[in-house]
Amino acid sequence: MELLAVTLGAALAVGLTALATGWAQSKIGAAGAATIAERPELTSTVIIMLAIPETMLILGFVVAVLILTRVG
Amino acid sequence: MILRMNKVRVLGPREQYPEALCVLQDTGVVHLTVPGLDGRLLPLRLSTWQERESGHLRRLLVDVEALLEALPTTGAGVGEASRAGHPGGLPARRDLTRWARLVSGLRPEVLGLRGEMAALAEEHALLSKYGPFLSTFGVILRSERAWPHIAAYHVILPAQEESAVAGLKTALVLVLGEGFALETRRLPGGDIALLMLVPEADALRVESLLAAAGVHEIPVPSGYEARSLAQALPRMMDRLESIPQELREREEELERLTALHRHELCNARRGLHDRLRTLGAMPLLGATQRVFVIEGWVPVAESDRLAESLATSLGGETALEVIDDHPRGEDVPVALRNPGFLRPFEIIVRLLPLPSYGTVDPTPLVAGFFPLFFGFMLGDVGYALVLAALALLLARRSTPGSLLRSVAAVAGTCAFWSLAFGVAFGEAFGNLGREHLGIHAVVFDREEALESLLLLAVAFGFVHILLGLALGVFTTRRHPREAAGRALTAGIVVAGVVALGVVVGYLPEIALLPAAGALVVALVALVAVEGVLAFVELLSAFGNILSYSRLMAIGTASMMLAVVANDLGSAVSVPVLGVFVAVLFHLVNFVLGVFSPTIHSLRLHYVEFFGKFYRPGGMPYRPFGHWDPGAGWT
Repeated sequence: MELLAVTLGAALAVGLTALATGWAQSKIGAAGAATIAERPELTSTVIIMLAIPETMLILGFVVAVLILTRVG
Repeated sequence: MILRMNKVRVLGPREQYPEALCVLQDTGVVHLTVPGLDGRLLPLRLSTWQERESGHLRRLLVDVEALLEALPTTGAGVGEASRAGHPGGLPARRDLTRWARLVSGLRPEVLGLRGEMAALAEEHALLSKYGPFLSTFGVILRSERAWPHIAAYHVILPAQEESAVAGLKTALVLVLGEGFALETRRLPGGDIALLMLVPEADALRVESLLAAAGVHEIPVPSGYEARSLAQALPRMMDRLESIPQELREREEELERLTALHRHELCNARRGLHDRLRTLGAMPLLGATQRVFVIEGWVPVAESDRLAESLATSLGGETALEVIDDHPRGEDVPVALRNPGFLRPFEIIVRLLPLPSYGTVDPTPLVAGFFPLFFGFMLGDVGYALVLAALALLLARRSTPGSLLRSVAAVAGTCAFWSLAFGVAFGEAFGNLGREHLGIHAVVFDREEALESLLLLAVAFGFVHILLGLALGVFTTRRHPREAAGRALTAGIVVAGVVALGVVVGYLPEIALLPAAGALVVALVALVAVEGVLAFVELLSAFGNILSYSRLMAIGTASMMLAVVANDLGSAVSVPVLGVFVAVLFHLVNFVLGVFSPTIHSLRLHYVEFFGKFYRPGGMPYRPFGHWDPGAGWT
């Protein structure tokens, strides 16, 4: 039971943050594609902005690792 | 670093302004600005004649550039032109006349030769289509003239219509009995060539048969319509053989013209650009009835050289004075100058707007931290060697000073740090090195010691953010409250990290009391200096440090993907297929492993690090000088 809770917690930490990141990136990506079409010189800026929401997923991954190593 | 600038003013008798502009263009260090104008000092406008000259020179320049484009870029004359030194000074009137004559004579000749070559190439491509038919049925076609009462039909069928040949043969037997010959050959491209020989008397019946079957004869190209294909083909093939020679003759003629005129055309282009720049700079000058005034920005290190050049060329009547030797503000142009080994990293800084004058050029710090973070994430001996090989290849294929050469230098440095961390983590293509090459982790194994990896990543963040806050104190030094806020934030971050270290058992307990005391005092001071909103900045600083945990997350993901590639490869029972699968996965992982660390290392710099001190908005330093093909603005 405890193992199930631990693995479920880790999975939720990664899964929910991945969904949030994906949703944010879809919005930024759409706006970014339109930006690049009009001003190609902003490509690098758009790529950087696209990478910003990944913080959520990365922190989720870190939490999952801590759950698995500390609790599991 | 950002070059220190002086604002200078050049004053002299009005009639000397052309010579003064010439000296400024030769020295190429003054970023011109409009001088402060009043009722007496007015901008020096172009005369009607100068405006007409400007238009004429622009048209001539377009023609010169079109000619240089049309002339070959290899052969005699090209090297000479590229080696030619700068002529110095502005073109004389006789030069402009000579260039105009040269262009008006040369343009029709060169463009005519180019047109002929294009027409010949087109004709060659068209005639080449008939080549396979001639090479297939050459012997029969050459003897066609010997059969006076025989009609020949030439057809090429697509490969997928091969079955139509049998149907055609049956139909011909029905119509002509045995009185015909049908030869088929498969062409190199897969199509089928058909040659039909029938008595002339039956030609009409055969043509209606072909039309009913939807089979069409190969058309005779224009210029040969009066003859049949059999008669035209030998002539076409003769023509095909003669075209390369004609093309060569025209190429040789173009090379001869290049050897004769390219050097002069390059000089013309340079001279025209320079003259147009001078005309374009004139409205930036101020003048009264008797004197002219030029104002601009000069790097401090170049001020003396400029004064010396003006004194040598114009005597004592024209003077240079420094009107501001401690400039501030956004109108001061910014020039980044770094040692050669750091200069490639300017491409990372230049992706953002330039830093404001008086702030910090982060290039040296980017050169230190960007490859370090990249290497920490990739951290694999195998991938590092592949990256180093690619960087070396790019360096060999690029010219010094180009963007690609800078990218190669950055990639090479990243490869070095990836190699270093690869050795530290004991990784070569994931766990392949450990299992088959006897490599062992020198520091720790990333697969096992995730917590150590996380701590190290956050420690990198702590150092980086602290450095950013320290630079922030420097860049806001003229705003004491802001600077004090940055310094207190840095103090709270240090005290907070020390206290946390004690709580989790990494630091001795004796450090807790001083850290907690410093934390409370600094927090109170911060609120007193910047108000309650300072907490937002403080929380963002801690959040920024935690953001560096991505170094661990991306590194672990890259390593795990490499392990998966090895496991998948070894799971395949056929060894060759297993190697193929592993190589394929490693290739994908390598691309991801280079792309992802680059993006995230950039992001850590732009968002977390630069956010603490970087003040964008610097105006690029563009000195008035001679035209440079690399810079390319007029």
